[in-house]
Amino acid sequence: MSDRSKGLLLAGVGGQGVILASMIVADALVRAGNDVKQSEVHGMAQRGGSVVSHIRWGPRVSSPLAPKGSAEVLAAFEWAEGLRWIDYVRPGGAVVVDVRTIIPPGACVDRRGWATAYPRIDDGPIADRRLQPRLLNAAAIASGLGNVRAANSVILGSVAGFLDIDDQYWEAAISSLVPKGTAEINLAAFRAGKEAGTVVIPAQPAPEATGVAGPHVIEVKHDWCKACDICSRVCPEYCLALTLDGKLAVVDPDACTGCRLCEILCPDFAIRIHPPVVAGVAAGEGAS
Amino acid sequence: MLDVDVYLRQWAMPHVLCPGCAHGIVLRSFFGAVDRLGLDQDKVAMVAGIGCSSRLVGYADFCTLHGTHGRAPAFATGLKLARPDLEVVVITGDGDALAIGGNHLIHAARRNVDMTVLMLNNSIYGMTGGQAAPTTPQGSIASTTPQGSVETPFDACRLLAGAGASFVGRVLAANPGAMTDIIADAMAHRGFAFVEVVSDCPVYYGRYNKIGEGADMLTWMTRLEQGVADPLAEKRFVEFVPGAGAPAGLATGVLQREERPVFTGARKATP
Ligand code: SF4
Ligand code: SF4
Repeated sequence: MSDRSKGLLLAGVGGQGVILASMIVADALVRAGNDVKQSEVHGMAQRGGSVVSHIRWGPRVSSPLAPKGSAEVLAAFEWAEGLRWIDYVRPGGAVVVDVRTIIPPGACVDRRGWATAYPRIDDGPIADRRLQPRLLNAAAIASGLGNVRAANSVILGSVAGFLDIDDQYWEAAISSLVPKGTAEINLAAFRAGKEAGTVVIPAQPAPEATGVAGPHVIEVKHDWCKACDICSRVCPEYCLALTLDGKLAVVDPDACTGCRLCEILCPDFAIRIHPPVVAGVAAGEGAS
Repeated sequence: MLDVDVYLRQWAMPHVLCPGCAHGIVLRSFFGAVDRLGLDQDKVAMVAGIGCSSRLVGYADFCTLHGTHGRAPAFATGLKLARPDLEVVVITGDGDALAIGGNHLIHAARRNVDMTVLMLNNSIYGMTGGQAAPTTPQGSIASTTPQGSVETPFDACRLLAGAGASFVGRVLAANPGAMTDIIADAMAHRGFAFVEVVSDCPVYYGRYNKIGEGADMLTWMTRLEQGVADPLAEKRFVEFVPGAGAPAGLATGVLQREERPVFTGARKATP
């Protein structure tokens, strides 16, 4: 298998330094004598959007993208981003996750009550897939060393435990790529990350306790709808749109916050917004 | 939570009104008011004349009476005198109420018959092909005023206040929450209550006057209101916020409220 190329994913939220970290990993792999390809997606990176970087290495690599279920390691700088990409890891692969949470505005399902649909921290999804977990509180380790911004290097230290690269290459890559004057602290963070084990996640309240389990359900009575476009124009989340053949389509059901503007302003009584389904039962029975 | 299916005649839906016509939003807000007041559906009587707005009674599961053009207030007066236990609501349009039925309307107001009149003002005769109505604003295009109307339109709320209506209010169809509040308020009022709902006719008024379709007309009407700038245009929705001072525009809210003896048809006992 050693002649086959291997994959690694780094995922996080814009501004966390995912791209720099992936440059360090790629550089260390090159120094260790591999052919390396790297590719990243960072559309809304400056605004807290999702950022993911794929790296593949081996004797010879043709494509930078790791197919689903193939990556050796997923390194996630944030909890939900870790869950988002977990399907890319091969069975038995490793997941290194910073257990910090950055709740994006899009997770808000109730603007008045500020309820969010953020996945709770629980290692179930990792255990279910039989992956090797390495859950870290990287930010806490980095601030203990004197600079919270070195949290990325803590994660890289933990990742290094799953890759076969000599430490000298890692240290050379870190020293040459991190901002001037921060090499020392980043190297210290890297070593601390190598030593850090996996943290035990404290028991979390079950999601039922919050009463919110997902987006509201948008029901359109197509035989009453006259395709007037009012609902699609008032929806603040752009959930609805008219298709080219003049039919109303629910284009982004997961974004619905349940504000009911579409339902209330539809002159044809053609929209029903149902509350999110909690633990298998509709929360507001009888709303149909 | 309002369940509209309780109040809709399911078998009659979908209704006949044009795509984007705000009258359906008004019907929903009316259901909201009935729901809030906890009225028994068999104790609510909706009375209508002729026109697009009058068609709404066909879809509402109350006691409904579809009468002749402009005469809804007359039917409603008779009904209220015979059955004072009913909550009588007239749903009418601007042409039906102010032109053909102007006489009936002002005399019901003068007598202070205990009823609620919802007048859906879309500034035009929609059902018959977009002719100018008594509410068509000066300068507006209609099929009978291709160069723009030269007449002075009625201000229905001032007309009804002058005629003696003991409750007068105005609200925009684009503000369904405020609409439910004011309709519930009007129905709870003892005496003649008149609510002008600024509605729209995208097919004639909107098209002739280049305002646009249903969503554009909802945006347009919010610009007519005093103290609110462009709530729908920015994909945000604000309920009526009274502005500082009084810029030009339509006054909304409760414009007149007074307690006055209610007409019952009975002669006062002489002492
Ligand atoms: S507002 Fe109602 S009638 Fe208009 S497009 Fe949406 S669902 Fe259809
Ligand atoms: S309730 Fe309707 S308007 Fe509100 S977010 Fe959901 S789809 Fe959009």
